[in-house]
Amino acid sequence: MESTSEALFGVSEQRLTKMRRYRKLKDQVAAVGISAGGVSVIFAICLIFFYLLYEVLPLFMPASMEERSTLVNYELSEPYFTVLEEQGQVALTIDRQRGPVFFDARSGAVISTPGVASDSAITAFAKDAPGTKAYALGFADGSVLIQKPAYTIEYGATTQDKTVIPAIEYPLGQEPIQVLQGEAISKLAYRESDDQVRIIAANAAGQLFMKDFAKTESFLSDEVELEEIDTVQLPSPSGELSNVLLSLDQRWLFLVENKGKVEVLDLRNPASEMRVHIADVADAETHITVSDFLLGGFSLLIADDSGRINQWFIAYNDNNKPYLANVRTLTLVEGVAITSLQTEHRRKGFIAGDAEGNIGLFNTTADREVADEQVAQTAIDWIAMSPRGNTMVFKADGDAPRNYHVDNEHPEVSWSSMWHQVWYERYDEPSFTWQSSSASNDFEPKFSLMPLTFGTMKAAFYAMLVAVPLAICGAVYTAYFMAPALRTKVKPTIELMEAMPTVILGFLAGLWLAPLVEANLAGITSILVLTPLFCILAALLWSRLPRDISTRVPDGYVPVILIPVVVFAGALSMWLSDPIEATFFGGSMREWLTNSLGIDFDQRNSLVVGLAMGFAVIPTIFSITEDAIFAVPKGLTQGSLALGATPWQTMVRVVLPTASPGIFSALMIGLGRAVGETMIVLMATGNTPIMDMNIFEGLRTLSANIAVEMPEAEVDSSHFRILFLSGLVLFIFTFLVNTTAEVVRQRLREKYGSL
Amino acid sequence: MTELNSDVMEGGSTMTAAETPRSKMGKKVVDMDHVPKSLSDEEICLEVKDFRLYYGEKRALHGINMSIPKKRVTAFIGPSGCGKSTLLRSFNRMNDLVDICRTEGEILFDEKNIFNRTVDVTDLRRRVGMVFQKPNPFPKTIYENVAYGLRIQGINKKRVIDERVEWSLKGAALWDEVKDRLHDNALGLSGGQQQRLVIARTIAVEPEVLLLDEPCSALDPISTLKVEELISELKNRYTIVIVTHNMQQAARVSDYTAFMYLGDLIEYKDTDTLFTNPEQKQTEDYITGRYG
Repeated sequence: MESTSEALFGVSEQRLTKMRRYRKLKDQVAAVGISAGGVSVIFAICLIFFYLLYEVLPLFMPASMEERSTLVNYELSEPYFTVLEEQGQVALTIDRQRGPVFFDARSGAVISTPGVASDSAITAFAKDAPGTKAYALGFADGSVLIQKPAYTIEYGATTQDKTVIPAIEYPLGQEPIQVLQGEAISKLAYRESDDQVRIIAANAAGQLFMKDFAKTESFLSDEVELEEIDTVQLPSPSGELSNVLLSLDQRWLFLVENKGKVEVLDLRNPASEMRVHIADVADAETHITVSDFLLGGFSLLIADDSGRINQWFIAYNDNNKPYLANVRTLTLVEGVAITSLQTEHRRKGFIAGDAEGNIGLFNTTADREVADEQVAQTAIDWIAMSPRGNTMVFKADGDAPRNYHVDNEHPEVSWSSMWHQVWYERYDEPSFTWQSSSASNDFEPKFSLMPLTFGTMKAAFYAMLVAVPLAICGAVYTAYFMAPALRTKVKPTIELMEAMPTVILGFLAGLWLAPLVEANLAGITSILVLTPLFCILAALLWSRLPRDISTRVPDGYVPVILIPVVVFAGALSMWLSDPIEATFFGGSMREWLTNSLGIDFDQRNSLVVGLAMGFAVIPTIFSITEDAIFAVPKGLTQGSLALGATPWQTMVRVVLPTASPGIFSALMIGLGRAVGETMIVLMATGNTPIMDMNIFEGLRTLSANIAVEMPEAEVDSSHFRILFLSGLVLFIFTFLVNTTAEVVRQRLREKYGSL
Repeated sequence: MTELNSDVMEGGSTMTAAETPRSKMGKKVVDMDHVPKSLSDEEICLEVKDFRLYYGEKRALHGINMSIPKKRVTAFIGPSGCGKSTLLRSFNRMNDLVDICRTEGEILFDEKNIFNRTVDVTDLRRRVGMVFQKPNPFPKTIYENVAYGLRIQGINKKRVIDERVEWSLKGAALWDEVKDRLHDNALGLSGGQQQRLVIARTIAVEPEVLLLDEPCSALDPISTLKVEELISELKNRYTIVIVTHNMQQAARVSDYTAFMYLGDLIEYKDTDTLFTNPEQKQTEDYITGRYG
């Protein structure tokens, strides 16, 4: 054997075996390397997916409550109101007898009892917005005292070891303000703005008085001086008052009556016209148990003995008349009376407790109960919350109060708050709105993904509207009719367009194209109409030309004659732009659109995006479609032509159906590109999250929204995670589109596989 | 006969003969010059006159003169690259599809030069049908494949198409095999069935000439046999020109055979004579298998 291989190949058998072994090794290394490459691509995709999921999942985790301690040393009874300070260590309670009392939120032991600087008994209580911490006490002698807790932190050996030292401040002075003359205050409402203090007090007979004070602050001493402006007697309520609530803007006064009515007073009107609306907030069988403002001092929460908490706020009807709208109803346990309610300090949420010891965490925007738990067998007397919303102290009837830790990070997110219409505060009807942040702390975040999804689809739709006809017709022509020599130049040129950075396209679209379109709207519109028209006309003329002339142009070079036609159509349109606008649209088509047709026009609009992003998508669609058409076996076209079919018939009846899988996947991949595109839409759309198909208005896409808002989103906030969620939505969408494209292509490839 | 045949050879192979201005000669003389004697009695279907074809700068056919008889089977044989397929494709101007292809001379069909600018090439191709080496049914149903040629002419009446489909499939000896699955995809057929389907598709539009470009080279022997039987049946209705590498096939199915070599028509006579008593050394070498 050895000699044969020596003789045959000039190498020894040993060396040959070695070479064969080496060859096998190389093959194995290549196989492993290629598999590793493929697997790591899939792994990377999975990693992206799971990372997105990891960021998003906390949004959908339910909230939880966990008992920390029992306040065994608690000895107070019947407070008006209890609240925790920022750290959750010290609680302030407004006791009916002793006034403000600070106690330890873990043990219940009293820390201090600052009391009130008045001899008279406390008869009424009212609180201002939670952020100010201020509250008002009404006394039996008709005077009102404004107080406010103040906390200082003393650190011990470590930063963990801190002691909160409470004190009481008098922001408007220690002297009580006389509101009613010699009568006890039975109900009280109070709001303080930068320059005005408004106090509304009811006497035992139910008469209401409104007292306004101008507030001036001394620069040097921070002392506040009050100057009485006016006292007005308000219209009396028709029934016995349960609560008096004054909106944060000091405009609306809500008189909550025991028999289930709310009277709405517009304090801007003269006293005789103040009562603008009376709403029935409970039916004959139910009774109002608790009422309070949601964060922001605009929405009323009215709980009743049927277990329901209704949110109401002022909306305007079609005649622009204010009315109290029942926005949504949340239920703790059906049929069990709500006995206590505490609103969150920084979110549009609240905690409610009922007569059977259930406690529920709710969020109004998300329209959902975040968590509920039966913590006692008896009615919940009161609930206190820390401003951060992570500590809660409540007392059930007959039990000692208990301190709970609350884990409730993302209550404002729910399926309905993202994908359904939500009736937001200060809106007159439910709507899809994206508005993630504002300057105000008591703002209601609006996390509807619908306008963004809609914007994404709208941008993709207009881009595809521009790109699909051009790219497909271009590909059909290039692959099937064009002279091969020309094709080898045209195809790479168009494919090079894909390498153009989209930021440049976006820049051009936003800063050059958008103003150009705005200034020459008539011209641009007529380009869109005239160019195809002229091309068809030219083709018609060409087909009518005598054959002697037409055959002089070499086959496949005919389109060159279209270049002057297109240039002419463009030049003519731009030249006609001004005359058209002057003659038909009174000088400006844009103003004519807005004034005569009522179509809003933004400079950065969908038309600009359609043109710019269409330009970005064309190479993708063109390239894949061209390949698909060119890959149709020549035997098929020849077979068709040999039967006497015209090239056009062959194209339509044989080539296009055979290439359809490729064309379909080209469209899908183009769509995927248009949906995921960021820079162009970011720079050329105006980023207005509105839902309107109008081609002259802007939009905001999911991708651009992430780019715009991610830098300013607080890490791990709901906003931050929702941006990740919108990324996940994009990811899933493009994944689905591309998978569909691939599956369809595979199946059709099987069908035509034997070609 | 000897004299005439040597003329054929010279006319085909030398430049001088090819470049002789034909207009000076009488039509009949030209016919007689380049046609086997036995063919002079036949009715002529296609007449090739001093036909030259170039691919770019390269000349692929050097002045071919020949006549194809009506309702007979004419076979083109010759080694690869000799131009037999090129000549065949010229009969229905499929060479137009090759961008760099250019022709000189005439091919007369119905006494009209098919290269004349007034000739409607789609009409020519309907009348001169073609079947290719590789079966190329469209990715449509069997029924739609056969109906295709009718539909492109604007014939859409279901009754007419049904009739033509059945007639054509019967004509292509395929009806019995596919009549129960007319609406199945044609790509599910076997290679031989596909080739007969393509023939059915071609005869559905009633062509006068059938050009078969190595129709059996991609088929197994049994399918080949079926197609060959079909060719024998079809020659009663159509003029058939077949290009083949298989000399037994040429001997079996054709009435006349033309041997081509390097772009020249070397020898052209009735099949029996050519195979039993070739006049040219090159022909003899080829048919005895010494090259090619």
